[in-house]
Amino acid sequence: MQQPQWWWCAVKKWGYLVSRLLWAGVATWVILTITFVLMEFTPNAQYAQLQFSAAQSGGDPEQALETAKRLRGDTGTLWAQYTEFLSNIVSGNWGWSTYRSQPVTEALATAIPWSMMYGVPSLIISTVLGMTIGLYSALNQYSREDYAATLFAFMGISIPNFWFAIILLVFFGTVLNWVPILFDTGVAQNAAGNLTLGGVFSLANLRQLILPVVVLTTGSIASLMRYSRAEALEYVEADFVKTARAKGVSDRMIVLKHILRPASIPLATLLVGDLLGIIFVGSYLVEVVFGIPGLGTLSYNAIINQDTALVFGTIFVPTFIAIVGNLAQDLSYAYLDPRISFGDDE
Amino acid sequence: MSTQTTPDATDAASRNDDVLLSVEDLVVQFDTDGGTVHAVDGVSFDVREGETLCIVGESGSGKTISCEAITRLFRSPPGFIRGGSVEFDGTDLTSCSDDRLKEYRGNRIAHVFQNPQGALNPVYTIGNQVREAVELHTDLEGSAIRDRVVDLLGEVGIPEPVTHLGDYPHELSGGMKQRVVIAMALAGEPDLLIADEPTTALDVTIQKQILDLLNDVQERHDMSVIFVTHDLGVVAQIADRVLVMYAGKVMERDDVFDLFESPEHPYTAALLDCLPGSGGLEGIPGDLPDPFNPPAGCRFAERCPAVTEECIEGDQPPEYPVGSDDHTVSCVHHAPDGDPGELDGVTGAIGGDES
Repeated sequence: MQQPQWWWCAVKKWGYLVSRLLWAGVATWVILTITFVLMEFTPNAQYAQLQFSAAQSGGDPEQALETAKRLRGDTGTLWAQYTEFLSNIVSGNWGWSTYRSQPVTEALATAIPWSMMYGVPSLIISTVLGMTIGLYSALNQYSREDYAATLFAFMGISIPNFWFAIILLVFFGTVLNWVPILFDTGVAQNAAGNLTLGGVFSLANLRQLILPVVVLTTGSIASLMRYSRAEALEYVEADFVKTARAKGVSDRMIVLKHILRPASIPLATLLVGDLLGIIFVGSYLVEVVFGIPGLGTLSYNAIINQDTALVFGTIFVPTFIAIVGNLAQDLSYAYLDPRISFGDDE
Repeated sequence: MSTQTTPDATDAASRNDDVLLSVEDLVVQFDTDGGTVHAVDGVSFDVREGETLCIVGESGSGKTISCEAITRLFRSPPGFIRGGSVEFDGTDLTSCSDDRLKEYRGNRIAHVFQNPQGALNPVYTIGNQVREAVELHTDLEGSAIRDRVVDLLGEVGIPEPVTHLGDYPHELSGGMKQRVVIAMALAGEPDLLIADEPTTALDVTIQKQILDLLNDVQERHDMSVIFVTHDLGVVAQIADRVLVMYAGKVMERDDVFDLFESPEHPYTAALLDCLPGSGGLEGIPGDLPDPFNPPAGCRFAERCPAVTEECIEGDQPPEYPVGSDDHTVSCVHHAPDGDPGELDGVTGAIGGDES
């Protein structure tokens, strides 16, 4: 029952936040270092091409390689290259994409809005719907609706995204002709090729985004439903829920205050961590099938074209989002769970 | 066997009109994948104003479910009240809608549960949780609510309650948590407090404190108490009357003094025999009967040392009166045409040897 002073609690809470921030920094550094090492070991397709053509035309392949490296600044000790690589990444100089003939960062900046156009709505819909249905299932366990939700969830998990996307395109695009089959970036852009707010929210653009959102949502909503059902079930049976019932609390308030709130702690983990993963892994196939020029398509094309700098660029983005997401999740714990111990003594 | 009327019994008899809660022939069943669990199978009991009724029995005997059935606290499905009535202060609660029941829950009938560790929501402060009860059951507003919360916490023995309003449950000991639960139970000034093994999960020194506290608040608020326990030592301390349950049936009921002095049902005798200092600590051989498929005849027959042919036929024997008005026993040997002599050496052992 010994109560620490409030300021000591505050110090500990801030200490916790700072330590989480530092860890996010360390994680980023580790990822960058691993990336650098991998890049060192990766044969450079362009150098190989240069050496090959030099040899063909009777020149010295080694000399051609030296020249190319000097031209690209790819010289110096390993340590010098490593520090330069780090400072470049930090200062936003992510290299040159040979396949897109533009800086990697620029290629990413063009692609990311397209991914967000279907990713963000899908994230919101699957979170809200998934948790609502999961909660409903838990409160009406083994009812007909619960079974229906379970069936839906397992279908969502089992059906491969790319296949579902194709089927939807065939049915709604070809048979019913409700949505366009070819993704048209023009409807969201002005004449200069820049995205406009009016264009993004135009009917034509929204219509072509419906199917990608549906496909991605059915994939990610299922696990959310199952998790929130399981979490809520744990609390539906909890002693303190019975206490609340005995106290005369209404069913609605029991759900909102006594079940949802404590269940939100484990659900926060799922939300940020897994969901981001699902969305970004899922988006490769979804984008390629629908022809959306987003991050997934960019990454896919970078790999196909052996554009090393761009490949790493497209991998960095989800990686950093995951790091930031995990950070946000740690910070949300500090707010959501009073039992969390902020590090040291307890 | 005490046949003369004790002063307590006459006193109790004169209070017969003051029945606050009357449970009649209650049947509670749980529908599970494995079949129907006959948790409570035709149980009747009364609680009079101001008295403490103890319900005793092994785990699985239906004590808790009987109590939770009063305000229908168990989850439904799977649990259903399949028969009987629960009359509280003139209203049959079994026919009340959930909304109507809310007017009783916490307000007129309050609960204290077995496990204080889990009884409080971990993400809210204790001040918040007691406050919730105060807001539900009083018309107080603004700072008056807070004052009432502080008063309640003070009443249940939380030292310097103001400084603990912001504590989370994990910062309190088990005994303190149980005090907070009791404070919530008192918020609505209930007429009936149902305490379901409130001391079982606590260590012995704390048990005593919580028992004293319950005794205190019962006197101060003039409440009736149903106290569920399997600890007969506790029963001796606090009960006015005792209901002995086994496998969803009532075995015996009596005034607490008479019951301890002369248990008439072999099961009660066996329970008392398990008390430290009563000679045997070997427990009662055998297990509870299958709750999915209760056996014919007396539920206790299988483990009873005085079992006869008659015991394993038909239904549980009716509750035959023995001696005083309050004392009934569900045992064929106490039937008008039965022979209580069959129980010699079974039930007499404890009362006889002890006194």
